[in-house]
Amino acid sequence: MKVKSYFFRCVQYVFLVTAFVLAVFPFYWMVVGTTNSAVDIIKGKITFGDQLIPNLKKLFADYDVGRIFWNSCKVSILTLIGQLLISSMAAYGFEFFASKARERVYRAVLLTMMVPFAALMIPLFRLIVRFHLLDTHTGLILTSLASVFLIFFFRQSYKSFPKEIIQAARVDGAGEFRIFWSIVAPAMKATYAAAAIYSFMTSWNNYMWPLIVLQSNNQKTMQLFVSSLASAYFPEYGVVMNAILISTLPMIVIFFSLQNYFVRGITGSVKQ
Amino acid sequence: MKRLLSLVLVGLLCVSILGTVGIAAEKKGKLTIWAWDPNFNIPVMAEAKARYQKLNPKVEIEIVEMAKADVEQRLNTVLASGAREGLPDIVLIEDYNAQKYLQAYPGAFVDLTKAINFKEFAAYKTELMTLNRKIYGVPFDSGVSALFYRRDILAEAGYKPEDLYNITWDQLIEIGKKVKAKTGKALLGFDPADGGLIRIMMQSTGEWYFDEQGNPKIVNNEAIREAFKIYKKLMDSGIIKQTSGWNEWVASFNNGDSAAVITGCWIIGSIKAEKSQSGLWGVAPTPRLNLKNSVNYSNLGGSSWYITARSRNRQVAEDFMKTTFAADRDFYQKILVGQGALGSYLPAQDGPAFTEPDPFFGGQKVFADLAAWMREIPPVNYGLFTYEADSALMAVMPDYIAGRIDLDTALQRAAVQLENQIAF
Amino acid sequence: MTEKPIKMPNYGRPRWTLSRYHRYGWFFISFAVLVLALFMLYPIISSLIMSTYSSRGMIQRFVGLGNYQRLLKDRVFLQALKNTLIFFIVQVPIMLLLALLIATLLNNKDIKFRGLFRTGIFLPAVTSLVTYSTLFKMMFSLEGLVNKFLLNIKLISTPIPWLVDPFWAKITVMIAMTWRWTGYNMIFYLSGLQNIPDELYEAAKIDGANAYQQFARITVPLLKPIILFTAITSTIGTLQLFDEPTNFASGGVTAATIGPGNSLLTIAVYIYNLCFKYMPNFGYAATIAYVIVIIVAILSFVQFKLAGERR
Repeated sequence: MKVKSYFFRCVQYVFLVTAFVLAVFPFYWMVVGTTNSAVDIIKGKITFGDQLIPNLKKLFADYDVGRIFWNSCKVSILTLIGQLLISSMAAYGFEFFASKARERVYRAVLLTMMVPFAALMIPLFRLIVRFHLLDTHTGLILTSLASVFLIFFFRQSYKSFPKEIIQAARVDGAGEFRIFWSIVAPAMKATYAAAAIYSFMTSWNNYMWPLIVLQSNNQKTMQLFVSSLASAYFPEYGVVMNAILISTLPMIVIFFSLQNYFVRGITGSVKQ
Repeated sequence: MKRLLSLVLVGLLCVSILGTVGIAAEKKGKLTIWAWDPNFNIPVMAEAKARYQKLNPKVEIEIVEMAKADVEQRLNTVLASGAREGLPDIVLIEDYNAQKYLQAYPGAFVDLTKAINFKEFAAYKTELMTLNRKIYGVPFDSGVSALFYRRDILAEAGYKPEDLYNITWDQLIEIGKKVKAKTGKALLGFDPADGGLIRIMMQSTGEWYFDEQGNPKIVNNEAIREAFKIYKKLMDSGIIKQTSGWNEWVASFNNGDSAAVITGCWIIGSIKAEKSQSGLWGVAPTPRLNLKNSVNYSNLGGSSWYITARSRNRQVAEDFMKTTFAADRDFYQKILVGQGALGSYLPAQDGPAFTEPDPFFGGQKVFADLAAWMREIPPVNYGLFTYEADSALMAVMPDYIAGRIDLDTALQRAAVQLENQIAF
Repeated sequence: MTEKPIKMPNYGRPRWTLSRYHRYGWFFISFAVLVLALFMLYPIISSLIMSTYSSRGMIQRFVGLGNYQRLLKDRVFLQALKNTLIFFIVQVPIMLLLALLIATLLNNKDIKFRGLFRTGIFLPAVTSLVTYSTLFKMMFSLEGLVNKFLLNIKLISTPIPWLVDPFWAKITVMIAMTWRWTGYNMIFYLSGLQNIPDELYEAAKIDGANAYQQFARITVPLLKPIILFTAITSTIGTLQLFDEPTNFASGGVTAATIGPGNSLLTIAVYIYNLCFKYMPNFGYAATIAYVIVIIVAILSFVQFKLAGERR
């Protein structure tokens, strides 16, 4: 019995280690790639080389990476703030002020998730032009202010929030916004953190829509930049790898620093 | 005041067209340009920009760089939305797509027939941007095709450079078999999912996927039939190294695994990237098909510049293109040396960069040869649906190559699919 | 408006009335509804109207339901539909099962380095499309790392034609999707598992249930809502599958097929091609988009039913 369970445990570890290595290896390769030349990368070299400084020099000499990086940060952070505020408020309304009519609206909102974005692109673009928001970060941010997924996510999390607390606050004479703002929201820190990661992740990695809205070089975001860099007839892969790493780094940093909140936040939303 | 100014501008333009320019008007304004390759057409445009700004310091020029698919996506989105904003002043369009844009978005691009002397450009380039006798673009790079080969490997198999001139694809396959036997190297890196070679073969006969009326011509198209057979022969002969995608294909000759590559001349940059192979390469004309009307000259790819009709600085844009791409011979020398960009502007082609022997190609005057072959490319109207046709044909190719269906079935299937695809 | 006490719990505040309740309710959702109506609802309606036209760029022709009829004869569409469904049927279950398995293992407190494993396995989910397609394309090239490795450990004797062969191309995309999304789904399961009290497992162990029985009798039933959630989001994601096929199928220099023999052509890619790669026919493209909506709706409904009836 003892031997069997030991063996079983070993199998489990082997499985987990394999999954871990498979998941992480491409990241390792990306980091290695930043130090190699294009030819070595295509040949599949998996050890560190000495091209890091030349690659970086070329990247920063040829492109205004700082500016592009800042654009991405700006768009992602502003979108994040807007999405969190608007989506959590909406979910609050749907959950704590439930009514038949609003429930219908909620269902309709969820259904829109099924429509592929490609179908909406052209009418959406017409709107952007009509509002004179073409080639502005405002246009990009405004169109993604309400995230259907986040509304759903927040609402799921609110479900486990004890309604008695709200009731008690009302008895104490607190206004509705104060209840939302200083009682409910602070109690759901983990949910907000998880939502923030999700929101940042989607807008940081967003590609198709920024591509259409943003037109000039000084508005460009990281993803647009990396993609144009990687699609040259003969890409400088060493340089591309550095750009890729720079574009991935913020996500990795944010996830590492907030991952405990992230898991807790999702845990809160999946509680029934 | 504004109206007066534009009147004056128009007046000046008329005067300059008549060729009796008295005063040089100072050009002002901002031009936005969309292009896609950071190692090719972007630096070429940057060079043009630098030259133009030296003459017109008040003109601001922004070159926006993005992936090619992205240029097309944006162009379509903006044009289709009917918006008055959001387009660049000048945009690079791939030649295969030119007619599509010109016909799907009537009036979107500026008619340049009178502004530019098109006789100075390669005939096949102006043909593809002509609609109802009006010419809409400024021809840029040529994709004149050629057989790029490794002198050393072919010599080892007993071939001299002359043996590669004036040959057919079948002869080339025979050469490949000998190369394989003697040296163990593959003749070509070859991607059976890529229809590029079919287009090279077709254009060498002056044919395309469509007839003169623009109707699909697939099943009874001799060029396509031959091309399909050659694809299968190539796959069956064992002389190719199968690749997928650009990187593998480039790697196949950069690594020295294959002895030759047949494609457009824009590949030179990638060939030269492997510096250790300097002096080992040579260039010969494209093989031809076993058909009467097939010649040893063809084309793959290439692109041209278009000015959008809604540009706020249309005159400046025209002037910019005219003084650079349609006049500056020295400019063409510079981009040939710098980016290996072979322009289709004929007067530039006796310049020093064209006539200089290239040590990388064993002292061959590569660009002089390519320029000469370029003039012989049979003009073809690419029509509206090149990519639909390519997709239809390449969708049946795997089954045909594997022998699951015969040629007639394959082409009939492709024809049906194409008809459906282009229905309106 | 009269009393509706069920919907409006009396929270004990004297001035609290039904109309106030609704006013606040509408106010809280107003911003989101406004944004969604403008940037979601309007485009949806607009593209529905568009789907009754056939177009060549700016030139349009009203066809009514003609586009829907055309669909049935369109072989490319049928192939895209088939490919998409293959991805859905094969990849989604494998990925979800894998995610569930890993989550179960990581939920076991006896396993060491759980945090490390969890972080590492989730990491792929933070990469962007551009990043991961660039990396994967290089790794799965004929002489890329993957083939080199498999040859070295003697698992294969000739390189696998990953992106060259229609069959393997699909496999490659499935591997990539699994890499990217397994960790993401795992996090949801892991979170769900933390809400299951340990005592349930302890009790089961005392009753002599083995690991598999615990998994099948406790884990799966209790996680059902989350499994349903991940299944539906994965369904939506797979039916709108676009990024991977387009980026993995850089068919040589100039190819217009998506993957060898169009083996990677999905419905979403076809929509994109109809808009931007081919002669732009936005009306027909919109029609196909609504076909996706219908299929997703049907599949979600089926999944709901399946989950409900097993209870």
